[in-house]
Amino acid sequence: MLQGFIVISENLPYILGGIWVTLTVVVGALIMGLSLGLVLSVAQVYGSRVVRRTVGVYVWFFRGIPLLVLLFLFYFGILANLQIELSPFIVSIIVLGLISSAYQSQIIRGAILSLPEGQLKAARSIGMSDSKAIVFVILPQAIRLSIPGWTNEYTIILKDSAVTYALGVTEILARSRHVAERTYQHFWIYILAGCIFLLLTYVGTKLFQILEEKVRTPGYTQ
Amino acid sequence: MDELLFLRQEVAPELLAGVWMSIKLIVPSAIFGFFIGIVSGVFRVYGHPVLKRLAGLYVLFFRGFPLLVQLYLWYFGLPRIGIYLSPFAAAVIGFSLCSGAYHSEYIRGALLSVKKGQLLAAYSLGFSKIRAVFSILLPQAMRRALPGNGNEFIYLIKYSSLAYMVTCIELTGKGSILANFYFKYLEIFAIVGAIYLVMVSIATWGLNYLEDRIAIPGFGRPKYN
Amino acid sequence: MADQTPVLRIQNIKKSYGDNKVLKGVSLELNRGGIKVVIGPSGGGKSTLLHCINFLVGLDEGRIYLNGKEIIHNRKRELTAYRQKVGMIFQDFNLFDHLNALHNVLIGPVRVKKLPKSEARERAVAELERVGLRDHMTKYPAELSGGQKQRVSIARALAMDPEVMLLDEPTSALDPELIGEVHEVIRDLASGGMTMLLVTHEVGFASSLADEIFFMEDGKIVEQGPPQKILFNAECDRTREFCAKIGRLHNNSS
Repeated sequence: MLQGFIVISENLPYILGGIWVTLTVVVGALIMGLSLGLVLSVAQVYGSRVVRRTVGVYVWFFRGIPLLVLLFLFYFGILANLQIELSPFIVSIIVLGLISSAYQSQIIRGAILSLPEGQLKAARSIGMSDSKAIVFVILPQAIRLSIPGWTNEYTIILKDSAVTYALGVTEILARSRHVAERTYQHFWIYILAGCIFLLLTYVGTKLFQILEEKVRTPGYTQ
Repeated sequence: MDELLFLRQEVAPELLAGVWMSIKLIVPSAIFGFFIGIVSGVFRVYGHPVLKRLAGLYVLFFRGFPLLVQLYLWYFGLPRIGIYLSPFAAAVIGFSLCSGAYHSEYIRGALLSVKKGQLLAAYSLGFSKIRAVFSILLPQAMRRALPGNGNEFIYLIKYSSLAYMVTCIELTGKGSILANFYFKYLEIFAIVGAIYLVMVSIATWGLNYLEDRIAIPGFGRPKYN
Repeated sequence: MADQTPVLRIQNIKKSYGDNKVLKGVSLELNRGGIKVVIGPSGGGKSTLLHCINFLVGLDEGRIYLNGKEIIHNRKRELTAYRQKVGMIFQDFNLFDHLNALHNVLIGPVRVKKLPKSEARERAVAELERVGLRDHMTKYPAELSGGQKQRVSIARALAMDPEVMLLDEPTSALDPELIGEVHEVIRDLASGGMTMLLVTHEVGFASSLADEIFFMEDGKIVEQGPPQKILFNAECDRTREFCAKIGRLHNNSS
């Protein structure tokens, strides 16, 4: 066991280097998911019947198919057929981002629907157009209410990002596997990898809590 | 036309075998996971302090580690300390323990949301603590927890695809092998995706139905979507 | 009385929710500087009427004229311009919960009227001063009392330079001791010559302000006339009954 720890500590910097890759994938996917999710949620709440239905199908699709299958479908299937060459790294961000946009759209939609109806009425009563009311009155409130949901979304994407190893992205798990194969310390190395994810979850959750506190409207509780 | 015939004759039987394997993974994992979740959830709220602690640690680690890492730990890690598991066993154990940790959270939250007076009323009728928990508190808590538990079952259907990563050849694994063999990635992964969509949709529908069946007034029930 | 065109003219508004006919053809006129009060039992359509006048609820039928010009509500520009001219005060305030008092008042002038920030700010501060909340302008809605919230919402409406104000039971969500401060602000507006349509249960307050009272029941205006007549000498039995009941309540509570 002692020898195991020596081997592990020798390879630690290489494994830890994966943190950067993992975080880039996660943050990229979250940002993409947020921007798309905002549009989708507004479309689903305020859009015409056809638009609402379309968003519904989109959400159903990306929430119903496993990440691993979507990664294979996009990377080996769709992109290869269209002869678009993207690195596994980029494809991973895109696929995770698309999935996340489906989930985030539902988080934001829930937040919009939880706002009192009077908010939109009051905005209209002072002469705001609906698009202005959405941008200046509805979304600023909905986004604040969405932060706990995002915290959750971050922890899910963080853990899901380990699956991108299947495409060959050199994130934490991929590097751990690599080291494990060479050193035969599979057991301890996977425990180490898990603990790194646990730590990232903890740190990220804390950061989101600070953010939530920062943007909180005084006196506002829901 | 050739394409269709090919799909019917070569691909369909193989994928069906994959679906069957997926179901053999999902169903026991769902049952074990749910059971583990109830027990550890009850421990976390009403257990002896030591049990509370242990159940808390279990949830921390099994929710905190990515499922794929857990599967690797069971399949590649355990042999290094002398325990050998088949790919199937490793997958079922991995799925059960991981989803048990998530179920545990929902059960715990629901138990905590049951009004304190309920336990007092049970005591006043002479219930023991264990009896009170199982016949008064859990039946109420389960109704509140079910939306969360239901989502967890649906996640399990999707996450069962990771069994392929520990060489347990289920639907995704079959699809992957076929796609590589016939060099038809787009078609085959699209079909595989569609099969998962069908499985997830059926499960969602079933859970909604179940929830309607056990609904009682005063226990609000959010819909899945 | 130079200008005899009504500021606001409502013609035969009808509205139903499913089978439930909430408004069965309501017409009324508001002259410049006029103050009309609508009273009547709950569920009689008073709130819906005000919401319809601001097109916050779509009408099934009916026409609305501002300064003699009909409002075509499906022309977006026309609608938002109209709403700026018609201020609305809600029963439950509807302050924007994510903005402090100052920004609640500021957001209309800045985002809708496109006033320069500094000018809008001056204006907003002045309006808050007018409702006596200058010292509270950095507070958020959740930190204000009900009476203060309603005063902020009045300031928010005033900052748009409305020609008419619609007030939908502005004090019904308030604790009794907070009603006075809001009444005072409304009285100030009245003496400043603001044209108002007010729905309220406070008959005493209503009679001291109104030049005409409408009694509304079951989606129709049943009777209208000067306060003294409606409150103490109504022709219609239902009106008399209602006023007697509400008068008793009023006397008991004050």
